[in-house]
Formats: sequence, C-alpha cells, structure tokens
Amino acid sequence: MEEKGLQGIIDEIWPRLKKKHLYPEIPIPRTKVAADSSDDEKEGVGLEMKQKQMTINPSFVSQMKDKMPERQVVEALLDHGITHYTFCPWDFHTHLMLYAEAKRVMGEKELAKRVANYFVDVIADTHCVKKRFTEIPELHRYLKRGKAEEVIASLYERIWGMDLGIAPPAVKGKEHEATVRRLARIPYLDRSRWKESIQKFGRSLKPFLVEEEKEEENQGGKRESNPQGEHDLTHYSSEEIDQGLRDYAGKTMALSEFRDVVEDFSEELKEAGYRLEGGMGRGRGTPIDADVLFYMKLAENYSIPLRKIDLEQKGHLHPYSHSPWEVGSPFQEVDVWTSFGKIMPGVTQIWKKKEGKGKGKIEGAPDCLIAIDSSGSMMNPRKSLSYAVLGAACATDAYLRNGSKVGVYNFSDAPMGGKDILNYTDRREKVYHSLCKYFGGGTALDLEDLVPLIQGRKHLDLFVITDMKITNLEALIGFFGQIQNRITAVHIGENPYSARFEKAVGRKKNIDIFTVKRKEDIPHIVLGNIREYFNPTHRD
Amino acid sequence: MKTSPLQKKVWPATVAKNPFEEFHSFAAQNEDLPLDRIVQDTEVVMDRIRHGYEKLLEEEAKELVWMVQYNTIIKAYEVAEKFVLEIDYTAEDIEDFCFALENRQKVPYLIPGPAGVYISALCNYAKEEEIALKLSELKTEINLLGFRLPKGRRLVIDGDTGDFTGIGLEGGELSVEGNAKNWTGAGMRSGKILIEKNIGLHTGEWMMGGEIYVGGRVRGLGNIVEGKVFERDKLIYPGKARYPNIYY
Repeated sequence: MEEKGLQGIIDEIWPRLKKKHLYPEIPIPRTKVAADSSDDEKEGVGLEMKQKQMTINPSFVSQMKDKMPERQVVEALLDHGITHYTFCPWDFHTHLMLYAEAKRVMGEKELAKRVANYFVDVIADTHCVKKRFTEIPELHRYLKRGKAEEVIASLYERIWGMDLGIAPPAVKGKEHEATVRRLARIPYLDRSRWKESIQKFGRSLKPFLVEEEKEEENQGGKRESNPQGEHDLTHYSSEEIDQGLRDYAGKTMALSEFRDVVEDFSEELKEAGYRLEGGMGRGRGTPIDADVLFYMKLAENYSIPLRKIDLEQKGHLHPYSHSPWEVGSPFQEVDVWTSFGKIMPGVTQIWKKKEGKGKGKIEGAPDCLIAIDSSGSMMNPRKSLSYAVLGAACATDAYLRNGSKVGVYNFSDAPMGGKDILNYTDRREKVYHSLCKYFGGGTALDLEDLVPLIQGRKHLDLFVITDMKITNLEALIGFFGQIQNRITAVHIGENPYSARFEKAVGRKKNIDIFTVKRKEDIPHIVLGNIREYFNPTHRD
Repeated sequence: MKTSPLQKKVWPATVAKNPFEEFHSFAAQNEDLPLDRIVQDTEVVMDRIRHGYEKLLEEEAKELVWMVQYNTIIKAYEVAEKFVLEIDYTAEDIEDFCFALENRQKVPYLIPGPAGVYISALCNYAKEEEIALKLSELKTEINLLGFRLPKGRRLVIDGDTGDFTGIGLEGGELSVEGNAKNWTGAGMRSGKILIEKNIGLHTGEWMMGGEIYVGGRVRGLGNIVEGKVFERDKLIYPGKARYPNIYY
C-alpha cells in the first residue's frame, strides 16, 4: 500500500487518538519506509516501537486490507501501542519487575521474556477494551496465531465477552479449556497485583510455551513475530533505562536478583550501546558488569551531603545558567527557587555550571581518597549487598558530582599483597570496579602505601570504611593523629575495635566517625563535617 | 455621581479560555467486562475458603501446633468438612488457595497438616470429579493431600507432595506428577495411588487394600496388611524381595 496514504490516515486519526488516550506525550506515529522493511521476518509485525516513536508497517496493513478497513487496523495498532506507554508496562522498572517474576516461574530467559510480553499485551488490550472505544477486538479476530496465541485469544473471548471467531475451548481440548479458565481468573487491571498475577499467568501458560518452543526448535528455531510489536529495550529512552535500573536496584536491594535480570538483558543493553558510565552511547557497547551496575544504581538513590572548603586558585565549576530539567536528569542540580519547589518537566530548572576563571579562594570540594576494607570479615560485594561498598559508592558519587577526583585504596592484608590502588580519577566506572574488588583474608594497612597517596595534597579528604578489625589498628590511629586532612571514618557494625578507635580519635576535630548497621544508616554519613558547616561556631 | 475610570473599563470577553474545554465533550468509557465479574466472584470465594481455613486453625491448632495423630486428623477433617460444605467453589479455587497459603499477607499461618486436611476436604467435596492442581511452583510440600479421596474421584497433582499423601484413600485415584515423602498411602482402603517419581519410607503402612504405583524408587515399605505396591511396573508387595522399612 502507498506509504503516503497510510501516513495520511495516521495524520487524520492521530488528534482523535490523542484525545481518546488523554493526550499522552508521544510523537506522531510514522509509517515504515520501504528501505526499512527489507527484513522478511518482520512482515508479520504491524507496529514497531522505538523509544517513544511508533512506526506502522504498511505491508502488515496491506495484508489485513481484505479483512478489515485500513483505518481500523491502524487505529487498533496505535491504541495498543499507546496503552503500553500509558498503562502497562508504563516504565522500564515495571518491565524488569514483570520479567523477574516471570523468570521465577519459567526458569528460563527466553520463556520468561515471552511470558512477560504476552502478559503486558493482555493487560494493555484489556485496559483498552474496558476504558476506550477501540478496534482491538476486531484486529484479534484476524491475527495469525500459534499455540499460545490460541489460548490467549480464547482468554480474550472469555474475559471480554466477545466472539473473536475462535473455536470453543471445549473443542480445543481439556488442557486448553482448563488453562483458559485459570487465566480468566487473573485480575489483569489491578496494578498492585501484577507481581503475583504474572506468576499465575506464566504457570498456566507454561506447557503451551514449552511445546511451542520445541516445535520452533524442530523447525530450525524460527519464531513468529508478535504482530502487535515486540517488547524489548528499544521501547525505552536512555534516561528511562537508567531510571528503571535505579528503581529496580533500590526496590529489590538484592544483588543476585539484579544481576540475574541485567545479565538476561545484557545482549539488548549491549546492542543499545548502554554503558556503565554515562548511560547510552553509540554502537555496540562492552559487556556490563552487573554487580558494579547494581552499586552504581543503588548509590544514585542516596544523596550524601558534602561540605565544601575554601580552595585556592581552582577553576571550579559554578552555577552559570539555567536549563530545563528532564525526567532522568540528576536532582542534585535542580534550582528549587526558579522551579517553584516542583519536580515537573517543563517547570523544573537545573543549573548549568561553568568553570570559573578568577584567582583567589573559591569554595569547592577537594579530592578524596577512599580506603575500603575487603578482608574476610567484610561482606563479599559480589555475593550479596555490601554496606561498605554501598557507603563508599555514595561517597564516590558525592565527590565526583562536585567535580573532584577519587582515589581508592582497597585493602585486606596489604603487606602481604592484598591491596588494590587506584590513582585519583574522575572515571566513575574505574572507581566502582576498584571498590567492588574483594580479597578476603586478614586485615592490615600498609601505611607506606597510604603516605604517597596523601603526601603533597594540601586539600584532600579521606574516607575510610572498615569494620575496624585491623591488626595494626594502633598504627592507623597514630597516622590519623598526625595528619590534618578531613577524615570520615565509617565502621560497619559495632565491636571492641571500633570502640577503641572511637576512643582514640573521637575528640579530633578533623575526624568524624559513623556507624553503619543498616542500609538506612548510609544517608546519615556526612562527608566533611557537615555539623560545622551549619554551625560555624564549632570551628577551631 | 462620578464613576471612577476603573469602573468604566470594559474587559475583553475572550481573554480567558478554559484550557480543559476540550474535555467537556470527552466521555470516558468504562465498560463492564466479564473479567470484572469473574475476578470479583473469585475474590468472594477465596475469602470464604480462607475464612474456613482460619476457623479450622482456631479450633484445631490453637497454639499453632498440630500433632499428626489418627484422632487429630479425623477431628480436623470433620471440622474442615463443616466449613467446606458451605462454600460453592471450583478446582481452580483450590489451586489458588494452595498458592495463597504461601502468601503471608493473604493467609497468616501455613501449618502443613491442617492445610492438607482442609485441601483434601475441598477436593473431596468439589463439584468436579477430576481435579488437577498445578503445584509444581509451590515452595512448600503440603502434607496429607488426597486424604480420604472417595471412589469416582481423580486428583492429579503436578508437583511434589509432603508426608502422609493419600492416607485413608477410599477408592479414589490419586496421581502425583512428582515425588511423595514418607507414609504415603498409609491406612488406605481401596483405590489407586500413582507416584511418577520417588517415594519415601513407610509406604503403605497399615494399608488395607488398593494399589500404589511408583515410577521411581521406593525408599522403604511400611507394615502392609493388604494391597499391592509396584516399583517401576514390578510388583514389590506382596513379594519376597522386600521387608518392612528396609532402607536402600
């Protein structure tokens, strides 16, 4: 069919569709140009969704022409596509959550992805049928169907109360009928129950999907595409993926779950050019270290304040002009005064910073050396959530956000070689890789390693995170007694060693000591003596 | 009387346009779908089933402790029967209840004994003659499933079951597509138990009749009075090869 004619239909119905769906922020859909549709496999796909751009496939509409008016086909496809953005899955976090729950039941990546896709389709279409005047049921009457799709079509007949031209479940067999009965009991439109609902959905549909997969394997692994469009990461923008991973890390707080999900999506993330640092890039990316990503995203959920000090002749970044805030942009730069205290795209503004040129003293954040204990008494950050690494990650973010550099001294039994030293850098990924290293074994600091890292740096903060079970703790206490740098010492849990440390250095003005027992304690860590910042009379 | 210049000013009539004017003509659809009714009915039934279970616990497991003894099982079953008979439910409701047992927000206590007795009562009084429960994703192995399954009924369980599976079977057919633990078929009178995989110790203890077919291995036989036990199509009781509670 002529693409121009199809685009004309879209242009004509789009204002009405937008109104029907309460004006979603979605660009006007396009038709697929002939050059894009060379892929024979995709002929059966009517709708493609990339980021927020929906694209209608003219050859699919042509195929349906004899069965249904083109206008209705286009409207039904767009209704379906819009509902994915406005109701289910809504965002990347929900997509990940549904996938993770499906994986629990299906045990296998491909089947879990298929279940999650069917589930979001059923929800989107059911929502549309209930809440909007739509041609979706008519479209379903003519779509090509595999085994699982037959079951889902029977499900639609039952839960929508419409005849879609499917043979009655009784004719299809006992298993088919029982499955439809089970599926029909799921509260698809109750968002709060989607987690348990998808498990039941997957459990019920599993035998059909397994059978379908076997048949596909016998036919050389070729799989029919979803006519209403595939649901992969291309749906989401880089900010949405970043935000989704951040929310998922924050809500699950479970390293293994996060790792499983990220590793399952690693191919798609790589294809999309997703990188640990800076979100998306161009071209195929490098493999993603899911553990590092977990701590990165989790740390972004916390914001630790950092007291700035007077730095000399430093070309420091200072607020220069405003720019609009977008969903996914960091909150730290928001200017609350010109944003009227609101976080809303179009209203909220962020500060754009520019490097200052003037000489003299300027308030800024110094570089930071993070000393992290990775001995046997500490949690292995690659096995489960390590509060030490999370704390250090939050500190890293605080310094890097302020334009400073971070060095890492990761130690267990340092004199015996259990150490990793990272020189001062502003590369977040490098810092996180260094923080996530785990040595195990005994705990001893080698002061000869620390001295060159500190020497000659007038303005340098130290951030030490350990359980204080250090064999040469006295040497460390003595060392801290000699230096004047600001030191933030965080100890994980309470024990006699931490009490000894506190007693020895607790009175020193440049040392602040914090205890982390739970993850909730992490925001209480205040880098660089925040008390003095708010109450300058405490200063020496 | 003089009028002030302010009073004289005439404001243009079209200054403010209601930005939401377009929505005046918008009529949101909210069609009642059969799904709404199905989900609502399911919820009502599930509430009643849960209520019955909680009442059973109140009466039979006051301290949340329940000893598996002949008398306690019989008594719990009688109480369960009383509640079950008042509910109109389907096989799918039974399956949903099994999963609800693992959800602490829905059912506060899962005590495998009373839960098994209650589920057995639900199965024995269900409208359907054949009940299939897909329990392979259940984390808990429920005890006492298939208790007193009557003649003419078939219960198929996809997944593993706990101890005392199919005890006191009364002519029904119990098929477990998985493993069963100890004391399976104890005291059964008639009927058939099919275990697809392996079975534990004391199999068929005080069994008075009927047949037990095991697709995998039988870990140990109980003191069987009468009946037959097959291991991988081979008759192992009555027979010379096995003695009660031989572990191998």
